[in-house]
Amino acid sequence: MDSSTADATLADVASEEHIHSLDPSIRTVWMLKMAVFAVFLFLPALFYDLTQLFSPNSWLPFGVLSGTVLVGASIYCLAWPRLRHRAWGFALRPEEIYIEHGVLRHVRTIVPLRRIQHIDVSQDLIEREFSLGRLVVHTAGSRSSDVVIPGLPLSEAEHIRDEIKRFILEDPLIEDPV
Amino acid sequence: MPSPPPEPDPSAQDPSDDAGTAPADESASTPSEDAPSPDPSSSTLGAIREPQRLHPLTLLLRVGASLPALLIVLFPLLQNPNSSEHVVSIVLTVLYGVFALPAILLQYFRFSYRITPKQIVIQSGVFNRKNRSIPIERVQNIQIEQNLVARLFGIAKVQIETAGSTSTEGSLEYVQLESAQEIRRIVRSFQHRTAEGEAEAEQEEPTAETLFDMPLRRVLLSGAFRFSLLYLAVIFSVLQLFDPEALADQLMLSRSVMDRIGEAVLSNPALAIIATIVVAIILGWISGIVVHLARYYGFQLWLEGDKLRTRRGLFTVKEGTIPLKKVQALILRTNPFMCAFGWYELKVQTVGLDVDEQGHRVIAPFAKTDRILALANRVRPLDLPEAFGRVSRLTIRRRFFRYTAVLTIMLAPAIYFWPATWIHPGGVAFPWWGFGLVPFLLGWALLQYRNHGYATQDDGFYIRRGVVSHYLWLIPVEKFHVFSATASIFQRRLDLKTLFVDTAGAATFAYPEVIDLPADEADAQFGTLYTQFKTLYRNRIEEATGDPDTRLDVEDRPRLPTGPLAD
Repeated sequence: MDSSTADATLADVASEEHIHSLDPSIRTVWMLKMAVFAVFLFLPALFYDLTQLFSPNSWLPFGVLSGTVLVGASIYCLAWPRLRHRAWGFALRPEEIYIEHGVLRHVRTIVPLRRIQHIDVSQDLIEREFSLGRLVVHTAGSRSSDVVIPGLPLSEAEHIRDEIKRFILEDPLIEDPV
Repeated sequence: MPSPPPEPDPSAQDPSDDAGTAPADESASTPSEDAPSPDPSSSTLGAIREPQRLHPLTLLLRVGASLPALLIVLFPLLQNPNSSEHVVSIVLTVLYGVFALPAILLQYFRFSYRITPKQIVIQSGVFNRKNRSIPIERVQNIQIEQNLVARLFGIAKVQIETAGSTSTEGSLEYVQLESAQEIRRIVRSFQHRTAEGEAEAEQEEPTAETLFDMPLRRVLLSGAFRFSLLYLAVIFSVLQLFDPEALADQLMLSRSVMDRIGEAVLSNPALAIIATIVVAIILGWISGIVVHLARYYGFQLWLEGDKLRTRRGLFTVKEGTIPLKKVQALILRTNPFMCAFGWYELKVQTVGLDVDEQGHRVIAPFAKTDRILALANRVRPLDLPEAFGRVSRLTIRRRFFRYTAVLTIMLAPAIYFWPATWIHPGGVAFPWWGFGLVPFLLGWALLQYRNHGYATQDDGFYIRRGVVSHYLWLIPVEKFHVFSATASIFQRRLDLKTLFVDTAGAATFAYPEVIDLPADEADAQFGTLYTQFKTLYRNRIEEATGDPDTRLDVEDRPRLPTGPLAD
């Protein structure tokens, strides 16, 4: 069993078939959040355009700046969440969490379950509307000390949390956290 | 209250002396004579059950520390004592007397600490009472620090650090030096008890063995090898506060020879530039020596059972412990100068200790290769790989492009805005000449490639990196935390990946990362490293329980997407 499972890891790590994707409604959540950000970008541009409306030697015709920002931001808001959702995938395996994400920068991460220090399920205002939860896994690592899986149905996030908790409680090896 | 016994003689605090007496006291196993109120009913060694105050001199030092603020308040008054428009200053001074001084007093009297066999309790706060208890078994390090003033009065600052925290958990500022050492001894003896049971606790602590020390000559030498412009920058920024020209003028006037040299230099711009560089190098070199002397004077490292203890410093003496188990990684560091003469620095990566050093603790600041390796072997068996795997050659190209792009971005605005009246050597704006650096960038990229390597061995992951500072990390398998492989959009075009094994307490600036591995190789390494980790733990579990697996039933094991809720 020992060697076979150890060998299986390699295949596991590379295999693409068991990857679970995020709940599709996370796209809407991301879109809303980005829209808020885009509005903050758009308003100053609009303000600038309005103040330049009656100035004779404006270097830009009216509406170009705010229009560009508006178009760019909408494309970003519409396309980016989809791309991000497509890039996201995770799998909970008997001894580890496997995560891959990133649109421009692909990141693949393995968090061994026995390295988890504690684990939270959190939810912000928008996520609550869609009854989504976010799984936050804390490890002692320095750069990736918080590993976040967003956009899980709340019940599923809680289920994963409980699974991991049970694994840690049943771990026969007791050792110092660090 | 004990009166402060002045101990101006530094030799009275000789580390070897203190290390030698510690085990002797331990073996006596009687309630320590230093503990002010030994509780006869308690069988434990020297628990400090009565709440203790800090050393009375703390009061004086705190008032002293608050004086600069008073001076700032009084500054207008002092500058122009005859003016009558300093009511504000006077009022503030009175307020200082009414509020700040009593606050210091109150703080002092409301602060207390005690040590029970289970925990260290620190009570503090004037209005908000804080009652902090630190469980003894969580204490990882007790650091005793003495700055110059503290050494004059024989008092010390005790910092208590725990496993989970990234900063100091409790700080006793100041207690008498003897009490500080007593606290450390008591905590350690309690820890032994909780960890190994009563029987073990009876055994006397293993004697301290000095592993490494640095005579003065060595410290000076190590400083000489550590040329750093950083210190220079600090010096110049401090000089900014004064009037450098007036200072220089005075120097120049006082010496007519200097005056002539100065004139000759200033008349020729090329000479001026060279002179500036030479002066900067000399200053940087000297400041490096001075900084090293202050930091590592009297450096000593000794092994006590399963703990390393270090002590160092010229003005501020720092004393700390590093449990061997808590060493997260070994770091060998050198620079081209040191390397040419075979000198190395050995550091260990720990968690939550000495945050000012980014989790790195220096174990040997400066020693020859074989000495360093022998020392490293005492901390953790180390098996230096004969050959390091190289990353992809494409990394040279990638780095070169990146550096050139950065250079262009920096120079472009300068070229665009360069006024026509400023110098135009060779008929072009001066910043254009910045592109003369491009060949150097290529060389830099090449050096980075040549110095970058990795090796996976049974004992851990070895990573080598750096041009100005050569780093070699050993990350033991049992200290692997999170594994990640990343590929940026540019890396994907060239089919490259970056591999990173996270450890606890890794620095944010220079960390072990294998950049630009060929993607398939990175994936293979990623798998190998994780398999190593998994196998190690399987073996450990098997050793402990006889079965290499978790106790969970097969269908109870965490698994998704095939879990019940996934569809």
